[in-house]
Amino acid sequence: MTERSVIYLDNAATSPIREEVLNAMTQAMRSDYFNPSALYAPSAEISAEIRRIRSEICAALHAPEGEMYFTSGGTESNNTALFCTRKPKGSRIIVGMGEHDSVYAPANELKARGYDVRFVPIMRDGTIDAREFENLLDESVSLISVMHASNETGGINDIAALVKLAKKRAPKCVFHSDGVQAAGKIPVNLRALGVDMYSVSAHKIHGPKGIGALFIKKGVSAKPLLFGGGQEKGMRSGTENFPSIAAMREAIRIYIENEYATNYSKISKYRELFKARLTEIVSDIEIITPTHNSVPNILTVAFKDVRGEVLLHSLENYGIYVGIGSACSSHHESRFKSLLGLDDRHRDGVVRFSFSEENDLSEIDFVVDCIKRELEILTKYRRI
Amino acid sequence: MDRVIIIRYGEIFLKGKNKSYFESLLINNIKNSLKRYKFEFFRSQGRYIVGNYDINCEYEIIDSLKKVFGIYSLSVADRVETEYENGFAGVNESLKRLAMDAASDCLKPKPTFRMTVKRADKRIPMRSCEIAAFLADTVLKNTDFTVNLTYYDYEFFVDIRENGYSYVYSDVIYGSGGLPVGCSSKGMLLLSGGIDSPVAAYMMAKRGMKQVAVHFASPPYTSERATAKVAELRDIVDAYTAHMPLYVVPFTEIQLEIHEKCPAEFMITIMRRFMMRIATVLAKREGCTALVTGESLGQVASQTVESMTSTESCAGLPIFRPLIAFDKEETMALAQKIGTYETSIQPFEDCCTIFLPKNPSIHPNLKKVEEAERKLEIDELVKRAVEGTYKV
Repeated sequence: MTERSVIYLDNAATSPIREEVLNAMTQAMRSDYFNPSALYAPSAEISAEIRRIRSEICAALHAPEGEMYFTSGGTESNNTALFCTRKPKGSRIIVGMGEHDSVYAPANELKARGYDVRFVPIMRDGTIDAREFENLLDESVSLISVMHASNETGGINDIAALVKLAKKRAPKCVFHSDGVQAAGKIPVNLRALGVDMYSVSAHKIHGPKGIGALFIKKGVSAKPLLFGGGQEKGMRSGTENFPSIAAMREAIRIYIENEYATNYSKISKYRELFKARLTEIVSDIEIITPTHNSVPNILTVAFKDVRGEVLLHSLENYGIYVGIGSACSSHHESRFKSLLGLDDRHRDGVVRFSFSEENDLSEIDFVVDCIKRELEILTKYRRI
Repeated sequence: MDRVIIIRYGEIFLKGKNKSYFESLLINNIKNSLKRYKFEFFRSQGRYIVGNYDINCEYEIIDSLKKVFGIYSLSVADRVETEYENGFAGVNESLKRLAMDAASDCLKPKPTFRMTVKRADKRIPMRSCEIAAFLADTVLKNTDFTVNLTYYDYEFFVDIRENGYSYVYSDVIYGSGGLPVGCSSKGMLLLSGGIDSPVAAYMMAKRGMKQVAVHFASPPYTSERATAKVAELRDIVDAYTAHMPLYVVPFTEIQLEIHEKCPAEFMITIMRRFMMRIATVLAKREGCTALVTGESLGQVASQTVESMTSTESCAGLPIFRPLIAFDKEETMALAQKIGTYETSIQPFEDCCTIFLPKNPSIHPNLKKVEEAERKLEIDELVKRAVEGTYKV
């Protein structure tokens, strides 16, 4: 890779690791290499440390009584939530249409295994249609999974209201929410949300890849996905990944110390400025991310007469990296694009800009100018 | 006792006075394909022997050799001292082990076998069939096999060489056949990243053609990953093609020009004519004497006889299309065999699919195409594309 200045605007895909986090991780790798399950004193100390970190994360998310299990990340947390809760054969499962693939694909697998899986349509801003959701509720519902914030638009689902609704109509259902894009970006209070399960991941908040957690509320019965040495109270076997767990703690500590989740004025200011500048200079764009009721770090825009992928590569030449959503290829067209209800000329032009605290306001003019310049060239040669 | 791999060549055997040329190419290709391993190489009357290798790498070595064109078959053999005076003691011991291994693997009731002996060492007074009868005793004593010279389940070979050593083996592994790469001149392959062109490379390599690949990229319309995918495909077929360099041609400018100035129906035809022109220039620079494509008759609009005629008129070299009469299924099966299929189907857009017109002309008229092309500065565009070409 060549050394050049990079403007990284794809933080919702993953975020660069922070120096302090990296230090915590290497420190743990170097000196705390003991197997936490071994019987000597240093192992017991690491084991106790993991317990402390677990309760710190629970506290950060205001979790009710229950257990926070460390996993290999969002995908494993979501898979565990979908596959491992107790569900009567053939019972109904409700999943949002715009869920991340790590929920959507397991849901399809459950459908193939004979469950009555229903997908709730989403609205323009990426959140689910509450009325449709309500219509699908009945006593046979055993599991619901609705993401907290959409990875495609940043739109926030009113999880608390959905949980209330669900528990009233389907008292026995287990409610899971994928919080990978929400945790650290907006205040998360699991007590207030009322969910039974909640997935989080470290690499979206400048932590390392390969570590995440799944919260399971007390009383929710779930079987493990992985069997083995019985670590994580039997819920997730495999030697505890202490260096990553320690790094995740550090990443969260920085978020809490700087009050990023509650005091996100810098990042939302960046987004608002970016949006204002973009709408001012580039015509014919559709802003998909709602101004209110969205995580502050995502801005999804549909450009006219240009393919998102092509614009992405054009901006790459300037060292600007953006995203086009999670299922990003011409052959596996994002479910999401077809759901947004965009007209034909905007449909292919969806680009997701996602920011972090490390982005600087001074970049905005340059980025928007580059977009304008490239669009002029690209729209001239649009597909016939 | 040593363990060795016997390599037999096929078609080269039939070559007359040029045989040594073909052989030296084959030997070179064999040594190259095994350059990651430690081994010794011997020539031995119409066959080659690979010996002194790490036994843990045997499977890998055989896999590599199976991909070298020109090799007809392989056998893993024990090399033992013949010891005729001693009642073929070494041979017998090795044969006993082979037979017992075969017997323990055999699920068939009443298995049969045949003993095949070649006696190159004429100092031994027994005749081949007498030795075979003598050695067969070892198999009969140690297994429940019975002899059947015509319909047999197992064949045990003993090859008695003049130098006092014998090769004992039972299995023959078939190689890829064909001719050693390099004996049939050099061709320039148009490598797209799809399923067909890597298979075309394999087919031409089978007939001994050395190849250089060229890929057309259209950034930002095509991604860096599409080029990386093509490089990956090249790496996979390299086991067959004995290393194929890859050149990437920047093609965006030409596509935009065509898009802007030419009728949409001829877009693809004109684009392919440019590919031929550029490939011809690069081919001549690289010393290639032919172009190779993965076209198959009637597969898409640009692969009709008329389309191919109109693109061919721009190529200054003969175009070989080894897949011309292949069904897609046949090509896919070959792609799976050579291991390119999984990489080929990764979904990255290539330069042919962008700006795709709704109704491309299926039977383009050469005159009309040439007329449409006149608005373009052909030589200048080709020159710039060639200048921007880089090696991956």
